[in-house]
Amino acid sequence: MEKEAQQFVWEGAIPLQVHLHDSEVTTLPPPSPALILAPRIGYLPLLCPQLKPFFSEALPPGVDTIWFEYKGLPLKWYIPIGVLFDLLCAEPERPWNLTVHFRGYPGHILIPCDGEDGVKWSYINSLKEAAYIIHGSSKNVMNMSHPDQVELWRSVMSGKLDTYNLISSKLKLGIIGDEFSGKLNPSPLKGQHSANDTEATAALKASRIPVRLYLWTVNEDFDDLEEAPHFDSWDQISYINRPVEFKTEGKYFTLLDAVKSILPELYPGSSNTMNTESKNEQKVEAEKESYPVIKLLRIQGIEPKMEIPFSWVVNNLMNPDYFLHICLYIKVPKPIGT
Amino acid sequence: MASDASRKVVVHLRATGDAPILKQAKFKIAGTDKFSKVIDFLCRQIHRETVFVYVNTAFSPTPDELVNDLYHNFGIDGKLVVNYACSMAWG
Repeated sequence: MEKEAQQFVWEGAIPLQVHLHDSEVTTLPPPSPALILAPRIGYLPLLCPQLKPFFSEALPPGVDTIWFEYKGLPLKWYIPIGVLFDLLCAEPERPWNLTVHFRGYPGHILIPCDGEDGVKWSYINSLKEAAYIIHGSSKNVMNMSHPDQVELWRSVMSGKLDTYNLISSKLKLGIIGDEFSGKLNPSPLKGQHSANDTEATAALKASRIPVRLYLWTVNEDFDDLEEAPHFDSWDQISYINRPVEFKTEGKYFTLLDAVKSILPELYPGSSNTMNTESKNEQKVEAEKESYPVIKLLRIQGIEPKMEIPFSWVVNNLMNPDYFLHICLYIKVPKPIGT
Repeated sequence: MASDASRKVVVHLRATGDAPILKQAKFKIAGTDKFSKVIDFLCRQIHRETVFVYVNTAFSPTPDELVNDLYHNFGIDGKLVVNYACSMAWG
């Protein structure tokens, strides 16, 4: 079961309809939009080899740097495509209409990207960050052999989960055991290379889970996700990188517990301790005006129930950079900082 | 974590390779600022348009990350150690 869910994530793709921006069209009639399937775990600049030939005849002379926008918002290329879609398309739009540019890179909004090498560098960098959070050191990633690093990156680019699991297991970042299936059916990340049982047991006890949370807070209520306003600036979204301290001893730790532990500003009084009452808690909270209300929580295109075990979420829905990317819309009584 | 959100974080800037050394290597920055502020500050100080920055001589966070988050995740001995270089130091 576990492997199956991870496989679905790896095979997940977003149908894109990509339009060349009007200012870069030099031909009549203008080129038709490109239809392309973009892997959820992929990155936008990697679509360049497919899109460039499609639009090249229409482009004005000049030097190419590819970038994308959605309804006027330049898209950050180092955020996985699936996360951008989950975050910016509250009501999923299929195909997703994006505009591509090959000129006029908005360097004041986006950090520079030098093609596939830049994306690979960013991916490995993110992996090092995750390794540091998990182990307190990035050594395992930095000491990776060059062929392994290349192979790992290729497996992400081409969506080859088996190769990815084989190479990434050498990094010993297998994070947590699933309370339900972990002991009987160890996750492929951890199972293959655990040298002995004591090591595996130690890994089950406590862990820090790397999380990147994209948070949109709103004061007014809305019932329909179509009514959610679209984003015209990245400033509307808080980008929060806080690990979840995860302990498997004791009672089970839910997704809601994890969200609360990341956002103590919104959930004062709750800490990292286990919570048995989480099942009914959200309903109760929804009724109280003074509590934040989760309007949307989406991970890998899924809107999981808040009482789902966090270990399942991590083991199945994390991205290949070992970060769990969570998109969250939350209604708060008062605006919060940043 | 909530209580120290407004607190300032001590950033320790360390030159790597041929990067110029700063007169003042440690400074305080609001935890609610983004890492881009550290990068901009460095660029101004060493008079360069680009600078390569690394936390704990290992990786480069994106400019979007909050100084507070970086401090909590990667801070050592009460400060955030940022190495900087004029060319890429740790690939």
